[in-house]
Amino acid sequence: MNIRTAKLIILLFAGSCAAIAGSLFKEHMEYKEAVVASPFLSEVRKLSDYSDAVKGSVNDANVYIFNGPTPGGTVVLLGGTHPEEPVANLSAQIFTENVHPVQGRVIVINRINTSASMATRMGEAYPRFYHISTPWGVKKWRYGDRLATPLHSWPDPEVYVHYPSGQNLAYMDVRNANRTWPGRHDGLLCERTNYALMELIRKEKADIVMDFHEAELEYAVENTIVVHEKGQSVAAMASMMLTSQTFDVPIGMEFSPKALHGLSHREVGDHSDAVSYLVEVAEPMLDRIRGITDEELLMSGKDRFVMKAGEYKLLYSPIDESGWPVEKRTARHVATLMTILQVNNMLAPEKTIILEGIPDYREITENGLGAFFQNPDEAPQERVFYD
Amino acid sequence: MTMFHHSLFVLIFIVAAFAAGKKLSLNTENSMLLSAVTGLVAHIFLPKGVDPRSVLPFAEAIRHLVEGAFTYFDVCLIFMTATFFMALYKEAGGVAFIVRRIVINFHNRRSVCLLLLVLVMMIPGAITGSGATTVLTVGSLVGSVLLAMDVPANKRVALIFLLAAMSAACPPINLWAMMAAAGANMPYVGFARPLGLLSVTGALFAAFWLAGKGKPVDMHKALSTLPEVPEGWNWRRAGAPFLVLAALVLAGRAFPYSFPVLGLPLIFMISALAVFVISPSRLPLFRVAQHTVKILLGLVSIMVVVGVLIQVMTLSGVRGLLSLAVVTLPLSVLFFTLWMILPISEGMLQYAVAPLFGVPLIMLFNMKGLDPVVSLAAWSVMWPLGDCLPPTAVVGRAAVMELDFEGDYYRGFVKTALPVMAFILLLSTLFMVYSKEISQVIGG
Repeated sequence: MNIRTAKLIILLFAGSCAAIAGSLFKEHMEYKEAVVASPFLSEVRKLSDYSDAVKGSVNDANVYIFNGPTPGGTVVLLGGTHPEEPVANLSAQIFTENVHPVQGRVIVINRINTSASMATRMGEAYPRFYHISTPWGVKKWRYGDRLATPLHSWPDPEVYVHYPSGQNLAYMDVRNANRTWPGRHDGLLCERTNYALMELIRKEKADIVMDFHEAELEYAVENTIVVHEKGQSVAAMASMMLTSQTFDVPIGMEFSPKALHGLSHREVGDHSDAVSYLVEVAEPMLDRIRGITDEELLMSGKDRFVMKAGEYKLLYSPIDESGWPVEKRTARHVATLMTILQVNNMLAPEKTIILEGIPDYREITENGLGAFFQNPDEAPQERVFYD
Repeated sequence: MTMFHHSLFVLIFIVAAFAAGKKLSLNTENSMLLSAVTGLVAHIFLPKGVDPRSVLPFAEAIRHLVEGAFTYFDVCLIFMTATFFMALYKEAGGVAFIVRRIVINFHNRRSVCLLLLVLVMMIPGAITGSGATTVLTVGSLVGSVLLAMDVPANKRVALIFLLAAMSAACPPINLWAMMAAAGANMPYVGFARPLGLLSVTGALFAAFWLAGKGKPVDMHKALSTLPEVPEGWNWRRAGAPFLVLAALVLAGRAFPYSFPVLGLPLIFMISALAVFVISPSRLPLFRVAQHTVKILLGLVSIMVVVGVLIQVMTLSGVRGLLSLAVVTLPLSVLFFTLWMILPISEGMLQYAVAPLFGVPLIMLFNMKGLDPVVSLAAWSVMWPLGDCLPPTAVVGRAAVMELDFEGDYYRGFVKTALPVMAFILLLSTLFMVYSKEISQVIGG
């Protein structure tokens, strides 16, 4: 075999690999997640209805609005800020598909950074999708990156200078939807997305904004509610109630640092009348010391390497043989939001928000998540949407 | 078989395949690719322990290989464009002009001459984060001056390597710190002072230790070995491209909300255009671009293959196993061994060590109450010192090649560099151990 033949064979092999991978990347990017909105849906708007900053962009998300029959407060739920944290959009979607507002309003966005959900994080060997068994079949979601993909937001600046604080952040954080609050109309993709979200929060006169997240067990901000100082009493009481009555692993409460800019718990509270909350739950898939990386780890949250690190007291969250299954993680987020609303109703009765139809912690952990997602093939088509 | 055994066996397969590749005279890049593919196959077929695991279809396995290859795509773009800029500047005669001027003006002041040579060496690496770029753009010219200063061959190549390593560590662009900070979700902010302090101290120590003593520069000898400068060069012309570069970088910082985001690759290309415009002679753009790609092919290939290898290691749990092995060492043991672990691992994996060890170490040091910024800065100065070590030895090999060094690689060049390396490693270790106190003094 001469060198030219060898080169041709290598080229063909590399081309075949690229073609196979390319078709999978395309499938990932084009897959649309079905959402069956609850029968109490009032309307679905686009994020660009609030600001043209995202019009025509991949992050022009569906905004699901549920108005209760009785006036009250307004809560905005943000899912999918970091699509490598699947419980964030699952928790939001639990509300989208099940909520029955009795008083007040709920506004849900399942994925605020759709771009980041359209490709996984290079070098992390993530699966492209994750699946949940339901009584009617298997439901599938895109798994993604922490940051918007460079295919939609490139190039990055040499250093990202946060608006309006002027704080310097790592260059890639300009693609991080939780570093670009309160956003900028003429900025890059995530800055524009967060600007539009701030417009939504202000125009809809939101009282509470909840941003769902997950974190590695090695990370100090773990199993906690991070809150703007405006919501300290509500968060403190919710944390105590959940820890004493509901959760096996306590949930803490932390104040949003005033000097750390770009995060929802700081900027939403500073730039609107809303009280901003961010909740974290343990996700072993995010730990760099994890073992085999696959969908099983993502969903079960079981990892023996992370457990070993726990034996050496290197973690901020406990972990044992039962891991941190996706049901438990989602149930914590759903229960946390419901408890925050409950406490807020007591402290600010004029802003009461009463939601029914939402499964409680025990129901989710015992029945699994699949029980709370509806079949898009059998649902009335006017209630089926795609994120 | 447990998951620990699985990952350990995959690691053994990876190492064995790499060794076999080298034995079969494959180059480092191809040996690494072979080891990555072998690791992937081993991961697919070896038992994975008692816990349930997801099936990995063939197409997904291929997807991991391709996806991993793009992990450092942005870094490769920066390498290519920055090196093209410096190569064009060199081709235009800019580098020769500066070096000749240094020799003419300061030949009888050895210390000043050395200081200016250090400055010339530090700039390319500081703005690109690549020691190889430093060596490939200014290494041979600075080497010529060192020859004229009567610096022996071993010391010359050692000094070029060490200055290149320190230039890569020097802010504003330190790729190890950037990659590890990004992996730990930590802003790349506050690194300039500790990185600057360590890298500049290291570079100055290297320069004066290896070339500080000797007779004054033989100006005529030095000038005769340096390329002639085309007619028309002056300081204004020489400074213009760097002024453009600095202006574009600073404009992004000074007017972040009104100046368009150009990105470093485009900034370097605009700066290259400035070189083309100010050059007194017509430049062969295409030939320089071709040459740039040619000289960077090895480095870029390594970055591509390291991405593949890291993806496979992450997929199979090997990355976790190695990270866990490091972070479960007692802190005192880490203090005493990181100076060795980091350069050796750099020699094996290049930039991939930053996310591999850097991220869990950041988490660990943060938990133990040490300052993660100063600590990471210290590691990020230790890592590039491993660039003369096998199997990759990218910068070391480049230095040897550029200086036409014919002596023994280890007993000549590496042995000569060892005392300086030891000093830099000791200094960095002290920064790491006293990171908390140092951060209070210099700000971390």
